This record gives sequence, structure tokens and C-alpha cells, in this order.
Amino acid sequence: MRSVIAYRMLWYDRVATAGSILGVVAILFLVGQQLSTMFGLFTFMSVLVDHSGADMWVVSKETKNANAVGPLPERYVDRLIGLAEVEWAEPIIMTAGQTRRPDGKYEGVMIVGLPAPRLQGGPWAFTQGSLADLLDYEGVTVDSGDLDLFGNPQVGDILEINRMRVRVAGITHKAQGFGGTLVFTNRTRARDIADLPADTCSYILVKLRPGADPRAALARMREVVPRADVIPTGRLSATTRAFYIINTGIGGSFGTTTLISSLVGIVIVMLTMYTSVLSREKDFAVLRALGGRKRDLFVIVLYQGLMIAAAGIFVGFFLFALFLYGTRDTALPTYVPPWFPFVHAAFTLVLCLAGSFVAIRRATRVEPATAFR
Amino acid sequence: MAEPILKLESITRTFSDGRFVQRVLRDVNLAFFTGELTIIAGPSGSGKTTLLSIMGLILQPTEGRVSLRGRDVTDVAEEEAATLRLHNFGFVFQTPTEIPALPVIENVLVAHGVQGAKIPAALRARAGELLEQFGLADYAHSLPRALSTGQKQRLAIVRALLNDPGLLLCDEPTSALDAENSEVVLETLRSLAHEESRGVVLVTHDPRVMPYGDRVVELEHGTVTADSREGKPS
Ligand SMILES: Nc1ncnc2c1ncn2[C@@H]1O[C@H](COP(=O)(O)OP(=O)(O)OP(=O)(O)O)[C@@H](O)[C@H]1O
Ligand SMILES: [Mg+2]
Repeated sequence: MRSVIAYRMLWYDRVATAGSILGVVAILFLVGQQLSTMFGLFTFMSVLVDHSGADMWVVSKETKNANAVGPLPERYVDRLIGLAEVEWAEPIIMTAGQTRRPDGKYEGVMIVGLPAPRLQGGPWAFTQGSLADLLDYEGVTVDSGDLDLFGNPQVGDILEINRMRVRVAGITHKAQGFGGTLVFTNRTRARDIADLPADTCSYILVKLRPGADPRAALARMREVVPRADVIPTGRLSATTRAFYIINTGIGGSFGTTTLISSLVGIVIVMLTMYTSVLSREKDFAVLRALGGRKRDLFVIVLYQGLMIAAAGIFVGFFLFALFLYGTRDTALPTYVPPWFPFVHAAFTLVLCLAGSFVAIRRATRVEPATAFR
Repeated sequence: MAEPILKLESITRTFSDGRFVQRVLRDVNLAFFTGELTIIAGPSGSGKTTLLSIMGLILQPTEGRVSLRGRDVTDVAEEEAATLRLHNFGFVFQTPTEIPALPVIENVLVAHGVQGAKIPAALRARAGELLEQFGLADYAHSLPRALSTGQKQRLAIVRALLNDPGLLLCDEPTSALDAENSEVVLETLRSLAHEESRGVVLVTHDPRVMPYGDRVVELEHGTVTADSREGKPS
């Protein structure tokens, strides 16, 4: 019957209850919004790594950020292919460049040159054209989200990058970078644009043979390319994100807003629940006098906290889903990892219960004798 | 001599606001028996509600002992006192004690379910019958704000009766009732004492109530000044 009492009291004081629920909604929605935006930025940071299709990245020594790599000798590719564990190794060129829009404005771009014929490490989704279109000597892709930077070109239009002529061969979908606007092309054209010596590349993607032991392979590869770093793809993705989080202040900024949203929410829950208990002190005294123990009042107010949390989490997720739906195709990137809703719900629940603690304490301290005065 | 259901020995109770100490009860010795309706009378402020609270294990005495069915319960832990209240006492108090958020029927059933117990169907039926008996059946599913003061008082009585308590403690239970309703309540209380062998203690100012008492205890300034039982064999 304690859950019934808890529920009836919440319903009777619905205005106060709505206030508490609002606090939970604030935590869930605001924190969810902040973190999904941050996760969205994360995916931008490591977009090339996450979609490379490789098991290992060979990069210049001390690389912490996949978007800032030094030159590597291309002959490393032959050494790597020589290993029994390696299925393929592809040297990629990455270089910064500038494009001139038809109106004369310059925009910075990041050119990624992919070796034919595999064109590995390149764009993974197209709205127009396909990967094969990059085999065309002048062919490049631009992303559907970056079209305005290039003056809204159509497929077949000619652009200029670093005073070189290129042709839009395909439009990619969600291939946007954090370090700069991504433009994919074949390696030959990239080398011309970058004006790189013929025997260097920026990084080498390595795919292991099925069944190869990744640890052993890693050790062998490090042996053959001692002057470079060999980093598993997942690790490079993580260090790249960490690099940006630490070095750009993004972590601090999202951390602060997350913390403030949580605090605001928890304080709302705390104050509204506490004042409700305060205004219902007499009822709690009556329950005590009738034979309710402290622990029964504890349970009743705890149930109230749980009910408020459940309602708030439900409403919060509904609003959060609307937010995600509304932002799904905008420039504001959001991303929700599959584990996030569960962890976030648990986090919100814990905060809500922490907020109800003061109310619980108050309720259990009510003296039964005050019921009859 | 039969064993009393409740016994108070040398009960003293003081309240202090930090500067003044007020002695509300002094050296009260009383024993209460089943099958007896005891009336406690006394002027306002004489300590009747305080005495009833101590009898019901809601308040602890400053000095003295309280025994329930021969067991000294003066110093039982708070949690145990709560459980003893639940199983031994029915309370009807002076001030309104209905819980506004609960419908009338649940206000009654809470006397059983407050520790989390399930409500058996038979008990629900009994609550319905009691509400019927006290003319509240039509309000079973309304919130208490739909009740008049007198109806709320009857609700409190129904709740006190739900658990078949060994001892019923009533503080002015008829103060808001008309003659007819008060007669119903008093008859019920008397039959509980006489036919079901329960102890009933009734605090009142109302001279119309006096004839229902088997025994009258008078309290003044926290002291028992008269007890019609004294000297009588039990
Ligand atoms: N918790 C308390 N704190 C301070 N004083 C108290 C407290 N409880 C009771 N008193 C004092 O004890 C005295 C007796 O109070 P009590 O309520 O027992 O009287 P009563 O006989 O029931 O009076 P009435 O007929 O008006 O209900 C009063 O002077 C009251 O102010
Ligand atoms: Mg009183």
C-alpha cells in the first residue's frame, strides 16, 4: 500500500510534482543534448579513422591526432606487404589546400588522395556518383553538407584547388571533417595539388589477413617500420578525440554545461520534493502515529523519487528524441552511441534519488506526536 | 484481580521550550482494563491529550513506566513502538487526521497497510461495512475534502476500528457530531467494550457522554483528582 500512498500524494500535489518532474526532464534533456552534440563532434574528429576500413594505421612518430600527420616514406608499403599477416597496405596522401569559389572567396579544404585501384580509406556514402568516379584523373568529391562552401556546384562542374583544376565527380553524404572540409580524390591528383615528392605519403592503411593475431602482427609491423608508429584503428580514433577534447577546450566547455545542467536539475528536484514533504508533514506524522515506521516513510518518499524519475526520464527522452529527429540532417552534428540512453537514464535516476534525499530525511524525522496537536 | 491491558505508573511529562519547563503530567498512576469504557474528563490544558499520547506509545513519558499487557514498553525502540501501535491501538484524535490525498476507503485501509502489508479482500470488505455502518458508504471513493467535519470524525472512528484494536483511545470523538450521530458512536464504543472485551478510553468535556462511562477519571493540572474505580474490586 506504500506505493499507493506515494502515488496518491504525488497526484494530489500535482503542481509540485510537475515541478520535480521538470527538474528530471531538465537533467535528461539538457545533458542528453550536450553530450549527443559532443559525441557528434567526436565522430567528426575521427571520421577518417572510423571509416578507413583498416585494422592498423602507420603514421609518423608521436602522432596523437589522425588529422595532423607527418610525411612517411612510401617504400614502407613494400615492407609491410611483405609480412605474412598483412592482406593489403595502402599509402594515403592528406594535405591542406585552398579552393576558390566562383565569387572569389577562398576556403580551406583537406584533400585526401586515395591510391587506385582500391581507393581504400575514402568516402563511404554518396548522394550522387560513386567511388569509381574518383578514378577519373580530375575527379574529386565534395560533401552534401559543404556544398555552399564551393558555391553549390553540380556533378561535372569544374572547381579550383591550389590553382589546380578539378571536377566534381561525386557528392558524399556525411563525410565532414573536424579539421577541415574533406575533399577526396585519387592519389595522382592529390600529389599534384599538394606538390609532394613522389616517394612520400601521409599515412598507410593496413588490413590484416583474416585470422591473423593482431598483437603479433603489430609487433612484426613495428619491427619493419621502426621510424614510424603503428597504431590500431580503434586506439587512433580514441587518441584523436582525446587530442581535440584536451587541446581545444571542447571537453571543458561541454563538461561545464553538463555539470551545470545536472546541478540545476538536481536542485529543482531537491527543493520541490522538500517543500512538498514540508507541506505534508502532518500527513507523515499521522502515518507514523498509525504505526508507520521511519523506514515506511523512507520507502514512501523513495517511491515518490522513483516515480518522479520515471516520469521525468520518459518525458525527457521524448523531448530528446524530438531534438535528435529535428537535428538529424542539419549542420549541427548529433550522435547517440547505443549504450548512451541506458547510461544516461541510470545517471538521471541516480541524480534524482540524490535530489530526493533531503525530502526523505525530512519525512523520516517527523514526530508522530505532532499528528495530534 | 484481572491483569490490566495498559498500566501507567508514576507518569510525569514535562515540555521545555529551552527557558521554561512545563510539567504537564505529574505522578499519574492509572490502569485500564478490557471490557471497560473509561472516561477521562478535565478542563482544557489539563493534559488529557498528552496522557492519551503516552498511553498510545506516541509520546514517551519523562518519568514513569508504561506496561502493555504486562510487558514494560516504556523504552522500546521507536520502530517497535510503531509496530505495537499498529497492532494494539485504535486512535481517534481531537484534530483532523484524515490524509487529504487518499480516498476515504484508503484512509481507512492505511491503518493496515502503512507498513507495506497487502490488503486482503476480507479486510477491504470489512472497511466497506464499517463505512456503511457509519453512514459513509457513499463517500468511499471520494477524497476527504468532500466530507463535513462530523463525517471526518466518523471516518477517524472507522479507521480506528479497522484493526480490531485491543485498546481504543478517543479524544473528544463526538465533539463535532449531532445528538443522533454521537449516540451511534457512543453506543458502538460501549458495545466494543462490553461485548467484544476491548478497552475503550474516551476523553471528553461533554456531559451527555458521561452516562456511557463505566468509570470516570478526572484530571486537573496534570494530576488525577478523582477516579470512580478506586476502591472498587475488579
Ligand atoms: N509538544 C508540546 N510542547 C510544549 N507544550 C506542550 C506540548 N504538548 C502539550 N503541551 C502543553 O501541555 C499542556 C496540556 O496539553 P494537552 O493538549 O495535553 O491538554 P488537553 O487536556 O488535551 O486540553 P484540551 O482539552 O484543550 O484539548 C498545555 O499547556 C500545552 O501547551
Ligand atoms: Mg486535548
